[in-house]
Amino acid sequence: MSDAEDTAGAGGTGSLGRSVRRKEDRRLVTGHGRFVSDLQLPRMRHVAFVRSPMGHARITGVDTAAAVDAGYRVFTGADFAGVVLRARSALPSYVETDQPVLAWGKVRFAGEPVAAVVAGDRYRAEDACELVEVDYDPLPATVCAWAAPQVPVHAAAPDNVLLERRFEAGSVEAAFAAAAVVVERELVTNRHAGNPMECRAGVALWDAAERKLTFWSGTQVPHIVRNMLAELLDLPEGNVRVIAPDVGGGFGVKAVLYPEDVALCLIARGMPGVPVKWVEDRVEHLAAATHARDHRYLISAGFASDGALLGVQADVSCNVGAYSVYPWTAGIEPLMAGGLLSGPYRLDNYRCTVRGVATNTAPSGPYRGVARPASVFAMETVLDAAARELGLSGVDIRRRNLIRPQDIPYTMPSRLVDDSGHYGACLDAALEALGYEQWRAEQARRRAEGGAPIGIGFAVYNELTGLGRAASAGPRMPFRTGHDACTVRVNPDGKVTVFSGVTSQGQGLETTVAQIVADGLGVGYDEVEVRIGDTDTSLWGFGAFSSRQAVIGGGAAHRSAVAVRDKVLALAAGLLEAAVEDLRIEGGQIRVVGEPTPRLSVAEVARVAYLESNRLPAGIEPGLEATQFYDPVRGAFAAGAQAAAVEVDRTTGELRILSYVCVEDAGRVMHPQIVDGQIAGSIAQGIGGALYEHLVYDEDGNLSTGTLLDYLMPTSAEIPELTIGHLARPAANPLGVRGVGEGGTLGPNAVLAGALGDALGVAVDTLPITPATVWSLMRGQEAGS
Amino acid sequence: MDVTVSVNGEQHRLDIEPRRTLADALREDLGLTGTHLGCEHGVCGACTVLVDGEPARACLMFAVQADGCSVTTVEGLAGDDGTLHPVQEAFVAHHGLQCGFCTPGMLISALHLLETDPDPSRETIRAEMSGNICRCTGYTGIVDAVEAASSTMRDASRPPDRP
Repeated sequence: MSDAEDTAGAGGTGSLGRSVRRKEDRRLVTGHGRFVSDLQLPRMRHVAFVRSPMGHARITGVDTAAAVDAGYRVFTGADFAGVVLRARSALPSYVETDQPVLAWGKVRFAGEPVAAVVAGDRYRAEDACELVEVDYDPLPATVCAWAAPQVPVHAAAPDNVLLERRFEAGSVEAAFAAAAVVVERELVTNRHAGNPMECRAGVALWDAAERKLTFWSGTQVPHIVRNMLAELLDLPEGNVRVIAPDVGGGFGVKAVLYPEDVALCLIARGMPGVPVKWVEDRVEHLAAATHARDHRYLISAGFASDGALLGVQADVSCNVGAYSVYPWTAGIEPLMAGGLLSGPYRLDNYRCTVRGVATNTAPSGPYRGVARPASVFAMETVLDAAARELGLSGVDIRRRNLIRPQDIPYTMPSRLVDDSGHYGACLDAALEALGYEQWRAEQARRRAEGGAPIGIGFAVYNELTGLGRAASAGPRMPFRTGHDACTVRVNPDGKVTVFSGVTSQGQGLETTVAQIVADGLGVGYDEVEVRIGDTDTSLWGFGAFSSRQAVIGGGAAHRSAVAVRDKVLALAAGLLEAAVEDLRIEGGQIRVVGEPTPRLSVAEVARVAYLESNRLPAGIEPGLEATQFYDPVRGAFAAGAQAAAVEVDRTTGELRILSYVCVEDAGRVMHPQIVDGQIAGSIAQGIGGALYEHLVYDEDGNLSTGTLLDYLMPTSAEIPELTIGHLARPAANPLGVRGVGEGGTLGPNAVLAGALGDALGVAVDTLPITPATVWSLMRGQEAGS
Repeated sequence: MDVTVSVNGEQHRLDIEPRRTLADALREDLGLTGTHLGCEHGVCGACTVLVDGEPARACLMFAVQADGCSVTTVEGLAGDDGTLHPVQEAFVAHHGLQCGFCTPGMLISALHLLETDPDPSRETIRAEMSGNICRCTGYTGIVDAVEAASSTMRDASRPPDRP
């Protein structure tokens, strides 16, 4: 990656497209970040949760006497039984179920909060947890989404199915009848999780006199949290303030309102004036924050003899865990899997049944890439299988079927509209960067002369980013995401303060929004300060998910900056007695076109706007501020291709990545370092999911990978050097950008499974690909030969 | 228990419960919240500090064990005038951080690596930094930053050329 540039004097040439120094970095590298866990307030008390040690059990008694006698405040399910989290959707097959704030009646997964205690510090809070006695009567647990339950998780869904939907286009029967080959596979992907380095954390404070709640939370979605808390606690929305300061990674896990969050706010309301703080530890996080990608795909695909994809039929079961995740619903993974399964491939005949199935495991929720790392793996697997049967190369079968620029706009069989079409170009660039032909030659050489087997794998994918109101219609939730707002204010001294609805968990949004506003307004990057993550200061933002913020929050920032620029110019035109259309702002200076020296600065205009109303031109209001929304209505598809060469150690079963390449069309690149950083980070998470990360439950519903000693996150020793390339075809939105946060996670499952299959001639049907997986695949091959 | 500990060159006397971790003492008793807790079981490395010059997991060490020791945290890296340490500067310049939560531990581990091996290869950097987990960057920016810092620090420590 290139160096961040020194921004001194950046104003004249514009800052977009350059790796300006991030505004966040100085506080973060000096230890002065402002994370929720860092917050210390007067009289603050600490909360710890008593959690279920059972996967499925009736609660027959909760005895808090010992803890209360020892002087602790204790809250149980009965205290909060009046408030439940009910994720709503108008989809016809959806079964609505309730998630309690603290479990009562029964527990549905190991780790579910049953009681909360409040103490002077976390040590004493954990002491108090030991004093709370909970009696359980165990029930048979169901941990597998494709096993029939003995006792359903929710009485309302006797078969555990919370949602089922069918996608249908054309005729799969006719397509398969005409096919030269129909491949059929059963594929199972591994449960893993976002696992941000900062676990969840919250501080809640209730002001009884004003009836106001303040909730500091490491959330990705502060405005949605405010909206939900106001509804759940029956408060006017203006009386709830949600503050998300620095947040240590999110990846979707923190885009959820959790029962612990609501418990904290209810506890605060029970203890007016006392700030109550909960900081989750990693063991709690692995057990009770959302998981993802525990799916099974029964997939068949028919191909013509030239490799043309004729039809796909699939049955997809997603393990949604014990509760329909609030507020996104149990539909989040299955609907995404069914909607995007065909990916960047042209397909007319499609039938896909998806279902979200409850089990006695932690709830699954949004995780970077939502379902598509699994669905891309399924699609790419059938392409590789067909290529092998038809004697085609993996590259040729993909080229034969990719959506092309001339197909745009392309209506996918799920009726989503693809606006990209640059998949072939991404694939070609990825193969070039990988050195595809050289690796094929090396593979042939080793096959002839001996040596560790080499394999090459690919994945091509489309990432639906920046969903507008039309594209986010699928889940039919009571709210429709699509727009964000931004306020741009020029202060009386000419400096700029931006109140943006975006949130940041590492994506550098303070920096990107400042770049956008600086360029839109015509001032230097250093003159702009951006405030985010406080619902009392920014008007509205849906938050960080679906790779939406650069497109939508960025679009709102641009529109607001342009609106303020227009007012600055109108005011300047009055002062200068010049025509507006003859004026330009650059680097904070206003000049008349054609004149060598500026006439006026933005600071002088700002002074007039606030402090010298006697000089205000007729018809111009005081102040320099604008607030604008932006909604792209549809979305912006980002194209991507990944490829890798791997080497297999036949003795240990270890898979070593020799070269890894990703080429994406992220549209216009606003900050090259940040964009590459998003891609590298998401590929690393994808590699983690493909090779290492696996949340395993035993049949009773106990999580057997409950620490970072058992749940393996990749380190710098596992992640290889990555080669990242760009196509940068501008999208049709104000900034020409496409979202970039998630695409990287979509490839690695397919790439690495494909590469292993290519190296050994085996079929990889289950993830993750551990040395044990490789070893047993080799054993199976020996036994079969 | 009474504990005397020097943190970033400043002497502190603390009356502290024996079970209190060094990390909590630094964060809550001394207000040095730059040291972060990512797992509290010694795997992720976010809480790494130097104790008498050696890296230690502050979540696995009791504060009382630091009695009489000299501790360096991320707050002790920049100069008194606010000038960033070359390792900090390199992390900024090479996008070695995104959310910044693992960063304090990364900076301390990088500092210790470069003090013990002033010219590590990228492979060595990857191996030596593998005790710290980052979930955001994919490590590319971190390895770039440590490599760049090693070059800056070697240049700074080289004796000036004689004419």
